Amino acid sequence: MPVVRPHVQRDALAGRASERGHASAATLGAFAAFLALGATSFAVHADWTPAIEAGVRHDSNVGNAQPTPDIVSDTVVGARVSMFQLFPLGAGYSMTVGGDLSGESFHRLEGLNNASLQAVFALKKKWGLGAFTPWARIGASAGRVDYRDGDRNAWVYRATLASGRRIDARWNLWADYAYERRAANAQEELVPGLSGDAFSQKSHTLGANLEYAMNAGILLTLRLLGRHGDVVSTTEPSANIYYASRALAEDPAFGPEDYAYRLVGTSYGFRVGVGYSPTPHTLLGCGFERLDTYAQGGNRYGKSIPEITWDYVF
Amino acid sequence: MFVCGTTLGYAGELRVVVKDHRGKHVADAVVLATPLDPKSALRAKTPLDAVDQVDKQFVPYVKPVFVGSKIRFPNSDHIRHQVYSFSPAKKFELPLYGGTDAPPVVFDKPGVVVLGCNIHDWMVGYIYVSETPFFAKTEIAGRASIEGLPPGEYHVRLWHPSMEHGEETTVRRVTVTAERPTTLEWELSLKPSLRVPRVSGAPSPGYP
Repeated sequence: MPVVRPHVQRDALAGRASERGHASAATLGAFAAFLALGATSFAVHADWTPAIEAGVRHDSNVGNAQPTPDIVSDTVVGARVSMFQLFPLGAGYSMTVGGDLSGESFHRLEGLNNASLQAVFALKKKWGLGAFTPWARIGASAGRVDYRDGDRNAWVYRATLASGRRIDARWNLWADYAYERRAANAQEELVPGLSGDAFSQKSHTLGANLEYAMNAGILLTLRLLGRHGDVVSTTEPSANIYYASRALAEDPAFGPEDYAYRLVGTSYGFRVGVGYSPTPHTLLGCGFERLDTYAQGGNRYGKSIPEITWDYVF
Repeated sequence: MFVCGTTLGYAGELRVVVKDHRGKHVADAVVLATPLDPKSALRAKTPLDAVDQVDKQFVPYVKPVFVGSKIRFPNSDHIRHQVYSFSPAKKFELPLYGGTDAPPVVFDKPGVVVLGCNIHDWMVGYIYVSETPFFAKTEIAGRASIEGLPPGEYHVRLWHPSMEHGEETTVRRVTVTAERPTTLEWELSLKPSLRVPRVSGAPSPGYP
């Protein structure tokens, strides 16, 4: 079982971490606002394309916990503003450079409120002209996410590969792969010899996507995904999970008695959605996602995420 | 409305109303009047015309032109477009451009030309290249009028991007006189309109 510091000490540390989180979020927010304003003025004169999305979702198991008493659900409101520019390179190649700013607000777990900023680069190849030609895209992104509870603050790096083809105006198919590395602030070791870096993760995700347009205004979507890599489960101390974990840290965002364990696990899931376009620029969506994870230490957990989304592209 | 080819001082007029099978007025239907006497169309002109790009859409959505016409493709958006067509009636590609300086394209073969943008997959437009100079396009109220028709016999037919059956199924033989307008009414069967969605509902594979 883990040896933990006295709560007073931990809470004091958590408090300082929280303050650090606030300061960083403010800096990030100011920087992002500056960037967004600059990008907006560019959009008027140049080849920038902005997009906005917002949504509310309910996560039935935010902490990825298995024992019923540890399962914490919450409702999250989020928004994202993105901006990108396309550069044609010839021979069907195009390069995209852009970035986005996003934020999330949790109803109960306020320590998880976060703001993030990321830059994206992508190279896309289309084999031929038109909407129905095959395409492939390789991309990379780097971003920073700051939480109110600063223990989770991290740099996020992602490499993606996607390929697909629109069959016709009704059917659209593509598959994607993503490697993600999340480098969080390292925490102190709670147990000698066991890393305190519980919020850093590496993962591989493979997805298959199908989109079906019922008519001019209604879209149905299906995504199947598999993910292998690090997962973070926040539970009360547990011997099985403790011995299987690769890192352990306090998780004050969930409560003073909760600990985050980094484990290796494999997730399988799906997402179904329906979208309605009241205007050509807008999509109102309703979706449901289910994920089941099999992690080390016999930690098996599931989560369901219904959500409502709004997308606007200019 | 397109007016040319009139060889006589006394010209007729053809007025058309197009509705679908539910009685709803049909816009963007092209009405074509082909004189049985080909001499009636000898003096047809080939004007310079344009299809604009506004808010990442082709404007107008449907553009009827006379064969041999030159069409410009100005870009009124703040972003660049790459206009193309691989329709048998006209294959062309305008490399990515902005502004109004793209060279005009000559449409020298009758038929339907489907326009697209290689950057914005949802952009679609139609140019109907007519072999007759007498044509018009219905407005929102489903009405169109062809004026300046030399009196005589015509084959009149319709085309629409969503029509269920071929345009040959709509052909009518009509007599046009100079005394009064000839009025026709059509009921057109249309397929549900389906275009590539502008906003995707699926988790996006990323930026375009």
